[in-house]
Amino acid sequence: MKYLNKDIKEINKLLKEKKIKPIDLVEEAFDNIEKNKDLNAYITLNKEEAIKRAKELENEEVDNILFGLPIAIKDNIVTEDLKTTCASHILDNFIPIYDATVVKKIKEKNMIIIGKTNMDEFAMGSSSRTSYFSAPHNPWNKNKISGGSSGGSATTIAARDVLFALGSDTGGSIRQPASYTGIVGMKPTYGRVSRFGLVAFASSLDQIGPMTRNVYENALLLNAIVGKDEKDLTSANKDDEDFTRLIGKDIKKMKIAVPNFFMSEIVNDEIRNKVKETIKVLEKNDVKVDYIDVKYIDNAVTLYQIIAMGEASSNLARFDGIRYGHSYENPKNIDDLYLSTRSEGFGEEVKRRIMVGSYLLSGENAKVYYNKALSIRDDMRKELKKVFDKYDFIIGPTTTTTAYNLDDPMDDPRKSFMDDVLVIPVNMAGLPGLNIPIGFDSNNMPIGMQIIGNSFEEAKIYQLASFNIYLQ
Amino acid sequence: MANSLTNVIDLGYPGTLPTLNEEVVNLAIKAATVLNCKIRREMHFDRKNYFYPDIPKNYQITQSRTPIGYDGYLEIEVNGEKKKVYIEEMHIEEDTCKSAHRGVKTLLDFNRAGVPLIEIVTKPCMTSGEEAKAYLEKLRETLFYCDISDCKIEEGSMRADVNVSIRKNESDPLNTKAEIKNIGSISNAGLAVEKEILRQSKLYDEGKTFKPQTRRFDDKKNDTVLMRVKETGNDYRYFPEPDIPYVILTDEMIEEVRKTIPMLPDERRKIYVEKGISEVNAKKIVQNRQLSDYINSLLEDDINFKIASNILLGDISAYLNKNEKSITDTTLTKERFIELVKAYDENIITSRNLKDILTTVLESTKSIKEIIKEQGIENISNDDELRKIIKNIIDNNKESVEDYKNGHDRAIKYLMGQVMKETKGKANPRIANELLLEELK
Repeated sequence: MKYLNKDIKEINKLLKEKKIKPIDLVEEAFDNIEKNKDLNAYITLNKEEAIKRAKELENEEVDNILFGLPIAIKDNIVTEDLKTTCASHILDNFIPIYDATVVKKIKEKNMIIIGKTNMDEFAMGSSSRTSYFSAPHNPWNKNKISGGSSGGSATTIAARDVLFALGSDTGGSIRQPASYTGIVGMKPTYGRVSRFGLVAFASSLDQIGPMTRNVYENALLLNAIVGKDEKDLTSANKDDEDFTRLIGKDIKKMKIAVPNFFMSEIVNDEIRNKVKETIKVLEKNDVKVDYIDVKYIDNAVTLYQIIAMGEASSNLARFDGIRYGHSYENPKNIDDLYLSTRSEGFGEEVKRRIMVGSYLLSGENAKVYYNKALSIRDDMRKELKKVFDKYDFIIGPTTTTTAYNLDDPMDDPRKSFMDDVLVIPVNMAGLPGLNIPIGFDSNNMPIGMQIIGNSFEEAKIYQLASFNIYLQ
Repeated sequence: MANSLTNVIDLGYPGTLPTLNEEVVNLAIKAATVLNCKIRREMHFDRKNYFYPDIPKNYQITQSRTPIGYDGYLEIEVNGEKKKVYIEEMHIEEDTCKSAHRGVKTLLDFNRAGVPLIEIVTKPCMTSGEEAKAYLEKLRETLFYCDISDCKIEEGSMRADVNVSIRKNESDPLNTKAEIKNIGSISNAGLAVEKEILRQSKLYDEGKTFKPQTRRFDDKKNDTVLMRVKETGNDYRYFPEPDIPYVILTDEMIEEVRKTIPMLPDERRKIYVEKGISEVNAKKIVQNRQLSDYINSLLEDDINFKIASNILLGDISAYLNKNEKSITDTTLTKERFIELVKAYDENIITSRNLKDILTTVLESTKSIKEIIKEQGIENISNDDELRKIIKNIIDNNKESVEDYKNGHDRAIKYLMGQVMKETKGKANPRIANELLLEELK
């Protein structure tokens, strides 16, 4: 009997009525994962512990809608006693001694961690092909990428192994793979979710978010992971709210802006046309849509490269072979330990970004590049915020193309940033952004649309995102 | 014990984030205030990136662009001359871990890693070891009195690096700088400066130069020893720490902290001297904060402070040192101390008496009056009783009286001795002397 393909409310009802037990869901999830093994969605499975936990939960009251449900966690979110590799050789034997704040929260909801998902090494990449454990495959076409960096989480949701996964999004790493695999992925407002326990890539941009098969479940998972955390000074102090509360509510008279840049020739025709179709549906439902120019958003990728690589070069300095992780044996001296550990431990893309980042922060460069980028980022943030004075949302395609082939060349490092040209501005401005699937291209690959809201207006994003279910 | 006080944050575990200790911000505001610094209202932290085993994240969180305090000074006195030592800036940063080298191995103790500290940087304005010492002493005293740190150099809660560079004429630019680390005491800081001046002078005299370098003070050799030559262009790749948001210091926050600043040592010394305490004693009292706070609690009272300071620094300090107690651990309340000082001031007791009753004074709660009575040491100040005794002595010592009348001053001392002997030392010496002279007329 299959349960994980049912509506979540129905699963919850069955659990409450003791018609099924958490162990049924866990076993089903592992069966699914086993069947989809060739998708390579996971780096580490938590089988023994998940089964143990499921059995423990049999004696506990079904206290919330997420109770007993399996969840997959991106492998850059630390889990106590469960290997956390960041898809890197340098951490391929790293077993953390503490739980990330989001993991604690998930455990408090009595969800069951099923495993750690594949990703780009240290979240650096857009196709998950920089993973030390090789890339995950797109369930819609196994020759295609799942996107990245949260490619494993996107894959396992798209393959319907489990209902819930966590990803992280520094420059589109939740929304872009969600788009390529046809699932729902939310990058919350910067500060909405604690980063404590998320292995840092670019601290001022990183944000953890939910990846699910539908909008409602996405909002439910967001409910579970948000909140001010004393351990993360950048986490925001916001009152509790139910992110599902506006789902299905009327969207008439809402105003939407579409930046001309998002619909320019950088976007493939099929995607552009699909987004236009969606816009027509919205307009038919009395939503006002305007095409506007937004200053600076076409510079977002350049700013992103400077800021993200600069911060990454510093964040990844701690992997030195002294306290944890891979360590070069019998070094000649301390410099040899650093050099050899890091040369062996890091992959090419990570090394490249550390080098570029170090260069960008060196001497006068910090002023010329990093500080200047921060100041232009402020201007860009202001420009984007200004749009929300007049509009409820900004929308557009999530990606410029659909998922491409796994064996496409990786020799142009700039290409991978171009995959994220439409999603990066959201990180730069700290805004919340969501991908929802809106159809397929002629090759039957999913097309995604991005909904960007004002800061801390995730609930409203879910309201608009649910329009296709309720209005079409 | 090494590494017994560590946690995932201090060890720089993947995924951990720093937090800002609010207390250290308050202490830094306090330090900036007492060091006469300007206080930056909007500050952030920076990352100083470099690979070294003693920084677990391989970057140190510090304040490079927005130090919390800047442009301050501290006044010192050397050989009777007052001088301002100018403070360039003071900033908050995290401590590194301690490393110990054992042969080819290096041992790391992360106990103090991540602990917040305040670094205070002066301008190059001191010209001798004496001045460096005076500055450090003044700094220690000031910070200690403000509860900013216990300033124990032996325990590492205060550390000093000195930078020395010299020049031939005052108008010349300063020559190459040597930084001296690992200084274990304030006097060694002074010594390190003197030795370094000698070393550098000798080199220049010989027509030699040297590269910017880090040296350490070797207390066995009593000299500075080369640690490493500084490579040029050490690039720390500073950038604003993204994990800690900007901190805005409001007038209210600064005012709240200001209110907690106690009377500073300079003012204490000044007031003590005004109250009649000798300069030597005033200095000694301030060296012992508990005694100084004790004296300060009496400032509104009308007592003989000279006597009070003598008693406190004399017998009471001896008792406290011997018993390893502080004055607040004894039973000597403010009220009882005032009574004691008055009894002394009015010659009801003498210093010898005090020695006899001291333990009781400091360990019981009886009033001083009661103790004096119980021990039967009240001085005979009653004129009539004393006069009777003195008359008797004059009658029985005719020879000495004669001697006195013939101008032998020594005789009066003998007669006084007889008075004290007769009264078992209880006679009030001043009154006894007066009465004796009267009776001899």
